[in-house]
Amino acid sequence: MSVKIGFLINPVAGMGGRVGLKGTDGVFEKAVQLGASPVTRQKAEEMLREFSVFSKNHHDILWVTCSGEMGGSVLEILGIKNIQIVYSPSSDITTAHDTKTACKTFLDHHLDLLLFCGGDGTARDIYTIVDKKIPLLGIPAGVKMHSGVFGINTKATAKMLFEFINKRLTVGDVEIMDLDEELYRNGEWKVRLFGVVRGIIEPTYIQVGKACFESVSDEEVKDELAEHIKDELEKHKDWLFLFCSGGTIDAIAKKLHIEHTLLGIDAVYQKQLVGRDLNEEQILSLLKKYPKAKIVLSPIGAQGFILGRGNLQLSPRVIKKIGINNIIVVATPSKLMHTPLLRVDTGDKTLDSLFAKQGYFMVIIGYRLSRVVKLQTNSF
Amino acid sequence: MGLVILGGNMMTQITKRNANKFLKDEYDELVKNHFEWNIRVLESGSKPHSIVNGKEVIMMCSNNYLNLSNHPRLVQGAIEAAKKYGAGSGSVRAIAGTLKIHTEVEKRLARFKRTESALIYQTGFAANSGLIPQLVGDGDIVISDELNHGSIIDGVRLTKADRAIFKHRDMGDLERVLKDADKKYRRILVITDGVFSMDGDIAPMDKIVKLANDFGAMTYVDDAHGEGVIGEDGRGIGAHFHIEGKIDVEMGTFSKAFGVVGGLIAGSQDLVNFAYNKSRTWLLSGSHPPAVSGAQLAAIDVLETEPEHVKRLWDNTKYFKKELNSLGFYTGESETPITPVIVGDSGKAKDLSNRLFDEGVFALPIVFPMVARDKARIRTMMNAGLTKNDLDFALNKFEKLGKELSII
Repeated sequence: MSVKIGFLINPVAGMGGRVGLKGTDGVFEKAVQLGASPVTRQKAEEMLREFSVFSKNHHDILWVTCSGEMGGSVLEILGIKNIQIVYSPSSDITTAHDTKTACKTFLDHHLDLLLFCGGDGTARDIYTIVDKKIPLLGIPAGVKMHSGVFGINTKATAKMLFEFINKRLTVGDVEIMDLDEELYRNGEWKVRLFGVVRGIIEPTYIQVGKACFESVSDEEVKDELAEHIKDELEKHKDWLFLFCSGGTIDAIAKKLHIEHTLLGIDAVYQKQLVGRDLNEEQILSLLKKYPKAKIVLSPIGAQGFILGRGNLQLSPRVIKKIGINNIIVVATPSKLMHTPLLRVDTGDKTLDSLFAKQGYFMVIIGYRLSRVVKLQTNSF
Repeated sequence: MGLVILGGNMMTQITKRNANKFLKDEYDELVKNHFEWNIRVLESGSKPHSIVNGKEVIMMCSNNYLNLSNHPRLVQGAIEAAKKYGAGSGSVRAIAGTLKIHTEVEKRLARFKRTESALIYQTGFAANSGLIPQLVGDGDIVISDELNHGSIIDGVRLTKADRAIFKHRDMGDLERVLKDADKKYRRILVITDGVFSMDGDIAPMDKIVKLANDFGAMTYVDDAHGEGVIGEDGRGIGAHFHIEGKIDVEMGTFSKAFGVVGGLIAGSQDLVNFAYNKSRTWLLSGSHPPAVSGAQLAAIDVLETEPEHVKRLWDNTKYFKKELNSLGFYTGESETPITPVIVGDSGKAKDLSNRLFDEGVFALPIVFPMVARDKARIRTMMNAGLTKNDLDFALNKFEKLGKELSII
């Protein structure tokens, strides 16, 4: 069973954290001045060592990588021989440009997976070139890791790679999140959704009999979620529905033949789009026209945030107007395995306390099927 | 295949579908992925020492907990009923297939369970699939423990009701779901396994009943692994928590500790009247042969008069668990004769099970996705018919193979 894995290290990622910088992109020299030392190489080595413990039976893996610190040298140190170098950075100090150029080359190589080592910044750079064309798996080594592509730690990432190669894990939508740089320059720390890629996920299993399980594809689960939301739209014909961001909501909207803004919030009334990619003010003015509204959202990113990291257009004003009882949370069971807690951080203490008081959400995980999921707010 | 000829006077022959090809294709796919069932055949009856695929093994994976399948009174009961009433019942219960002996079993069962009434179905599976869909519909909700296994799931899937899941045995979660459901639904049904068949732990039925009553929800317990095992004299989970008659639907089976076959529900007369008029499986499927009813009656007799079987089952359970633990095996949260021996990796669990079989101990592996990936196990089912020598033999094999496979 031969597998082609792309391997990319961002030698610069992760250095900002220890010295208090928010990310390392573009501030490499400053980080070094402040005493930072390289982090990713060590994490990558750790992960690959753990992986070699799992895969003692030797899969036929071809590692497609970059030379030197961007991947090749780590594979060599670990004695991995089946390597193909497809990109060499021109300087010792690598930048986002190197990541992106390497990815352009990777696209020509029919990879089964791209394994990278870095943080949200690196993930974003990869996403801009790769999009959904190659599944991604991140070794967590960056300063910020809100994106859903990372394993929890190096060992978990190694296990995920092993299970994926052995076809026990599958591929599904995960979110690329990062700090909104523009807002950050104005002193605001806000994480937003940048895109959706394919990551490695646990398949959803349904029990079909006494000792029988059938694995259901991510697609099929989302079909069920879409059926459920369709029923909701029909039950509440004169209500406005706000479809929020992320891959799950996007899939649902597509099934309902509604064009959806992947990274933004759209408004739907009687199955027709009445507002696209809305900001807070636009939502508020729509609510004047349609006073009864429901929000349909899904946890995004690595920590299960439904409000506060991404979905920022749902400001406290918007949520208070709509009412927290009118929030519908949908999630695939495999998403909930990854993020078993939902998190909320609206930035408004009274609103957060209302969520804290509720303490949980009934999350829709299938057609007319829900489960209790605990809710955690940042301030409580 | 077919030909499509274009032009002129066309003779078109449409490609015919192959009706049966998928049978082989799908089976081959299962085999390729090692998902196919490998059926082992018992040449003996299901006994503490059985002959399986030609090999004598200690039976540690049957549900015949009290070894009543081999009890002479049950065998005699079956023979005499067959002699008196014949080999079959001739019909479905509703038309001409209700024999006096069927109603006798139901009366005796209600007395044994200390409920107002009881009803027999062909199997436990038929009970769940027949009754659950009739209890709830559109506008209602079924609330289930996340680890409910088996035929409950099938029964629930047949309904048009909404479904909600609560965390395993978590009463806080259950309360949250009930509070939420209270505002939205017409009827609420709370369903749980009594004894969970993977870990052998018991549902907190007393708390569940109390919470359900607070909200006017109906309670339904599938006590398949509790019948004849827990509660005084093996009367089941109602007796175990001293809440006989307080659980709205006590569902169980004759095919496990009772040693025969058959599903049962015990509860109020209203429940039984409703159930036999509405359950499709009861109305449309042939009733038990007299021999089955004869054995069922004898099983109830035995449980009412011979407490030593249940006692020996528990003595064996305690001994086996204690010894396994002192060898270094972890047996999880088991509170019943279902004793999982946690192995961890799925491959290892399968390995251990196969090697145990080779060495004369028959116990099945339970692997992902039935349990978490790193919690694969050998599930042993204790049996009242095993002697201390049998248990020591099995323990010896577990120790030997456990060490060889680096589990202990």
